Amino acid sequence: MHQMGDFEEMAMLDLPSDERAWVSEQAERLLAGFDALEGADTSEIQPLVTVLDVRNVLREDISAQLIPREELLSNAPEQYDGYFQVPKTLV
Amino acid sequence: MDSYLRPGGDAVALEDSIMQKGQPVTAGSKMLENFISPLDATVVERLRGQGVAIVGRARMTEFGVARISGDRPEGISGAVDAVADGSARWALCNDVFGINRRLAAQNGVCYIHPTYGTVSRYGLVHLASSMDQIGVVCRNAEDGFALLGRIAGKDANDGAMFPEARYDYASTGKDITVGLPEAVIGRAGTAQKAALREFAGRFRGAAVQIPLFPLVKQVMYILASAEISSNLTRYDGIKFGYQAPRYRSLKELYTNTRTEAFGLDAKLAAIMGTMFLSQGYYTRYYDKAMRLRRLVKESLTFAGYDVLALPCAIGDDPYENLSLYALAPLAGLPSLVFPQQRQGIQLIAAARNENALLTAWKSATKSATKG
Repeated sequence: MHQMGDFEEMAMLDLPSDERAWVSEQAERLLAGFDALEGADTSEIQPLVTVLDVRNVLREDISAQLIPREELLSNAPEQYDGYFQVPKTLV
Repeated sequence: MDSYLRPGGDAVALEDSIMQKGQPVTAGSKMLENFISPLDATVVERLRGQGVAIVGRARMTEFGVARISGDRPEGISGAVDAVADGSARWALCNDVFGINRRLAAQNGVCYIHPTYGTVSRYGLVHLASSMDQIGVVCRNAEDGFALLGRIAGKDANDGAMFPEARYDYASTGKDITVGLPEAVIGRAGTAQKAALREFAGRFRGAAVQIPLFPLVKQVMYILASAEISSNLTRYDGIKFGYQAPRYRSLKELYTNTRTEAFGLDAKLAAIMGTMFLSQGYYTRYYDKAMRLRRLVKESLTFAGYDVLALPCAIGDDPYENLSLYALAPLAGLPSLVFPQQRQGIQLIAAARNENALLTAWKSATKSATKG
């Protein structure tokens, strides 16, 4: 069974101790309330993913450039030669 | 020079989650404090195309994430403030958890939450995608629906929309039957109950059961936080937004960026949502909540009644009150919040039957004026 700390790591967070205590307290409260869900029989019910009827809508395969590369990169904290720049990933 | 015109007048304020090309869009988060929008949201394009001025941007609760704990300050809504103090005639915002609807009721203004799939979400900072929907804050519901008619209608940039190109909202003048869920209304305070009774007294009433109401807040929190956790993964400190100044590896860059820039409620939703979507918990929580969502949607039949009337609060606990505001987004239904006797009333109608909301509001307003 996973612990809250595992989910914190999976969510790419590393909380300071006061925040971790608050999150744990809230999580306990929420999870206690979720026990009530188990009383509802949903075995014959299909999950509802979206309230709209989902259909696959295809369009012509025509390339389009909605936003120029320079504009997309303009919000990147670091960029190099027209690309997003990331720290070294292979050592 | 089509934005930041004059205060008040016929102008619209935009919640800080709606993109406006060349303007900062923060969604109330440190994560986006330096983000400049590269595009106009479809609603912004449509307003500009029809000569409606945009007066400015309105502050918001971080990403619009619910505050479910009573030990935290309530959410904020600059959109509601802008309309309430006359800085704007209308304001547009996204309201998944009811922060804006509740504050509208408290501040004496109206909030129109349209049917899911009738207003384009293109250019809206994502929160919970299956429930995100841009709505209208207004002082007068008829005026709000007039603005909604200018922004609603299919948009090729949003893949989850009804096919209608436009919507014309109007009162039908027909007699309205109001559905009254006594089990819910009974939980409201005395003043809230009195306001609802006064409103309902002008219409034919029908008793309505919402058998799953006690589970609605749980279903909402599970589904919304799962979607929020997924949507928040885009904030990695690389493509846009805040980047932590100190890190020793790619993983530390991600982790430090997110830890430093997200607020507490976003962190809680990200962690809980990650849990709901993980092996071992998916079936127990997420899958279960999706099945219950179908039951909740199917329980709102509107058979024998045109609009469902709800109070705007059933106590002080924000998590309990979430149940009231979760029904419309969970079922994709339109709702209207408006002031009544210094309290708020929320009406919900069948999908794409906004006209029933407007008809009920007009009828109630007319009889109140006469009275």
